[in-house]
Amino acid sequence: MSEYKTDVPYGTLDLLILKTLDTMGPMHGYRIARRIEQVAENLLRLNQGSIYPALIRLEQQGWIRTQWGISETKRKVKLYSLTRAGLKQLTIEVANWERATALVARFLEAES
Amino acid sequence: MKLRSAGVRLLALFRRRKLDRELDDEILAHLELAERDAIAAGVIPEEARQAARRNFGGIEQMKEDHRDHRSVRLIENLARDFRYGMGSLARDPGFAAVTIGLLALGIGANSAMFSIVDAVLLKPLPFPEPERMVRVWEAPPGARNGTTTLTFLDWKRQGDIFEALSAECPTKAAVTTDSYPERVPGKLVSADYFQVFGVQPQIGRTFARGEDQPGAAPVVVLSHAFWQTQFAADPGVLKRDLVLDGKPHRIIGVLPAGCFDRDQAVFWKPLIFAPEQLNRGQHWLTPIGRLRAGVSLEQARAKMTMLRASLNAVIYQKDWGFAVDRFTQMLVGDTLRRSIYLAFGAVLLVLLIACANVANLALAKGATRRKEMALRTALGASRGRLIVQLLTESLVLCLLGGVAGVALGSMLLHAAAPLVAESLPFTADLSMDLRVLGFAAAAVMAVLILTGLLPSLQTSFGKLSNALNQAARGSSGSSAAVRRTIVIAEVAASVVLICGAALLFKSLAKLQQVDAGVRIDHVITMSADLPSAAYPTPDSAARFYEAVVQRIRAVPGVEQASVSQGLPLQGVQWGESMSLPGTRESVLVRLKLVDPWYFGAMQIPVETGRGIETRDRAGAPPIVVINQELARQVPKTFGIANLVGRAVDIWVPGYGPIPESLVNLQIVGVIRSERTAGLHAPSELVAYVPLAQFPRQDIKLEVRTRNGPAAAMPGIREAVRQIDPNLPLGDVMTMEQVKEQSMLWARQPTWVVGAFAGVAGLMAALGLYGVLAHAVTEQRREIGIRMALGARPGEIVSHTVRSALAMLLVGLAVGLAGAFALTRALKSLLFEVSALDPVALAFACVLMTLVGILAALIPASRAAGVDPMTVLRNEG
Repeated sequence: MSEYKTDVPYGTLDLLILKTLDTMGPMHGYRIARRIEQVAENLLRLNQGSIYPALIRLEQQGWIRTQWGISETKRKVKLYSLTRAGLKQLTIEVANWERATALVARFLEAES
Repeated sequence: MKLRSAGVRLLALFRRRKLDRELDDEILAHLELAERDAIAAGVIPEEARQAARRNFGGIEQMKEDHRDHRSVRLIENLARDFRYGMGSLARDPGFAAVTIGLLALGIGANSAMFSIVDAVLLKPLPFPEPERMVRVWEAPPGARNGTTTLTFLDWKRQGDIFEALSAECPTKAAVTTDSYPERVPGKLVSADYFQVFGVQPQIGRTFARGEDQPGAAPVVVLSHAFWQTQFAADPGVLKRDLVLDGKPHRIIGVLPAGCFDRDQAVFWKPLIFAPEQLNRGQHWLTPIGRLRAGVSLEQARAKMTMLRASLNAVIYQKDWGFAVDRFTQMLVGDTLRRSIYLAFGAVLLVLLIACANVANLALAKGATRRKEMALRTALGASRGRLIVQLLTESLVLCLLGGVAGVALGSMLLHAAAPLVAESLPFTADLSMDLRVLGFAAAAVMAVLILTGLLPSLQTSFGKLSNALNQAARGSSGSSAAVRRTIVIAEVAASVVLICGAALLFKSLAKLQQVDAGVRIDHVITMSADLPSAAYPTPDSAARFYEAVVQRIRAVPGVEQASVSQGLPLQGVQWGESMSLPGTRESVLVRLKLVDPWYFGAMQIPVETGRGIETRDRAGAPPIVVINQELARQVPKTFGIANLVGRAVDIWVPGYGPIPESLVNLQIVGVIRSERTAGLHAPSELVAYVPLAQFPRQDIKLEVRTRNGPAAAMPGIREAVRQIDPNLPLGDVMTMEQVKEQSMLWARQPTWVVGAFAGVAGLMAALGLYGVLAHAVTEQRREIGIRMALGARPGEIVSHTVRSALAMLLVGLAVGLAGAFALTRALKSLLFEVSALDPVALAFACVLMTLVGILAALIPASRAAGVDPMTVLRNEG
């Protein structure tokens, strides 16, 4: 594993998944994982499997929903898409994240 | 959102298989896609597959994580543990049976006992607003007494205090059933009696205002039980009459089933005051009332005190006040309350000991399972997970024990209810109701925590490597120390109980040895009530007494016979003031009415002067005989040297409607004191007046027989029948039985505590046996080596017994300290035995030690039987 790769920042996987579904529309688990890796341009160390527990959690919260579709390999797969509540949650999480990074940034500036 | 997510998770529990399959499909699709992408990017197929898997991460781990997120993991595990627990119990049925048995015993006894506690002390009375119900008394200094008719009527007029106030007066009436006369108990009550209780009849009505006034038509209300047995629950009973003492009474209502069925009375009829009863001399009424809504007990007391002051001119007993007590409080006496607390405390100790035993068993089992646990830890099970699993196994045991316990408890209660019912107030409904079940459930939870937590902590803590290494060798470390401590605690708790039981038994033995002042053996007693119709005058009653004694004495096997009002040891009904004419001093004496043969039949010797003789009949100068106690104490009060020969004034009860009257009587003699109020009670001041001069309708017959008293009964019945064929005899009891009954208050708690102490002692012995047996099993190798080196079996036995003794002695010391602290609670139940009686305490210690050594001898002899060759070969 490469030295410069970092783990998914704690608690942000949900945000990444929601944002991905928001921009890309309905897609299945593998595509979501690949999309996150591609956007991160190999800066991220992601166990692709770890998105499935996150997906079931988001589904139980009512933020995403599933429907059945057919994959490129002609296999029945679950397609995940954002719900209205999920969209609302995404704006909340984005706002939270921006607040948190702004806070940290301010500390770092104050230090220097 | 929370709720939704909880609901989805719970649903997921039931769709586990389907969800697992879906997840598998998803993973497969994922890997296929990843592989395809890799191949498309130019990777060779073999490597593409591996890369896909690598990028995915740990599949099994992810699945677990997935399951955690999607459902209630705890419950899923619990269900699995539950099944696992059942399985492990089935593998070790001996352990399961002993554990469930112990818990069932503990929980069963506790539920049964709690049912009594609840019914008597906790549950509100089964009447609306029971806190408004009161008893009203006249109160001599430091006591409670009944009141007179006129004073009662004064009280009844206090409408601002009482919503309803009723007198109640026990009565009996002859009812003819199957052509044989039977006397059934009933109550004479004021018309608003049932308003006091707030009870509505099941059918018909209760008494209307005015039905307790002279001239009202005779009516009667029946108890539910009497309606069912006597009238076969006839719904048309309201059109029928009940013939009481030959006089038809119209049945106007039937009470609902319930507490009034546990009362003695089976019928209630209005108490109608005769003109002669309207006086302030005869204290014969004990009123019960319902306070007006909003009137507090304190307000009622204050108003009654003011009323008392305004009546000062007409009430004779100047130092008597009026008292108002809560009905609830009067219902349960101090002795009963203490006995119940005591029994409940004892049974709780038994449960604790049972828990200790179960915990010990679980520890022993845990020690053998250490390897299994260590292995599971090594395979990645968290400590918390193991503890939860062990707790679940305990839960299975506790639930089974609880269910068996409730079944056992309800059987115990069923068996005990008739034995204790007589000692409990009529409002106490003993049943395994929801409250008792709730208590049992709480007990199960407590037991679970006590028995499950410790062993599971013990088992799953400790170093993994140690456990894996040691398990094979079977060395006992801290677990053995904990188990020893538990056994010591068990022994200590048992010693406390056995000490308590020993004290109570010694007290009972002392009580039994008390000289009743009368000869108890070979005496049979019975009661009769002379109906007013057949015996309208005092003379007719007096003639009956004489005739019946003559006739019974002629029965073969009968030595002596007498008639009296009241029996020895049962208390004297009448307490009246006695005064010297011309002085202001008066003393309260118990007044007993007896015939000329009573002293002879009961073998009460005359000390000075003479007893009551046949010449003391109606028309002759009225006389009184006093007991030694009265002869000793009263001259001091009156300031004279000797009472014999003096004349005194005493209120003497009347006959039938004839009221109490103040009579001038000459004291003619002194007799030795008999125990009138029970064996434990000090001798009272008793004055005996001739029954022939002051006859009563409610009488007792005492017959001294040559041989077995029961054998003479048919002859006695026949003799009475020849004089009055319609007179039923009731309450046939030997004096021995009367004596037993008078000791019931002491006997019941003694046997209950004794039984619990016995169980506790046996459980402690079982615990001791368990620990020693386990130790012997674990030390077989060591014992084998020692025997190979020349130790004799005797030494091996004494080694084990010594280790038992060590535990016993520590337990005894702790237990004795506990006994010193706790037996004080017994004080009021002990008769002439100190709460720290050395003999009883020593006896308890010796008994516990003996039982403990017996329990130790079994494993000790097994240790001595160890064959060194076999052991060393097997385990060397």
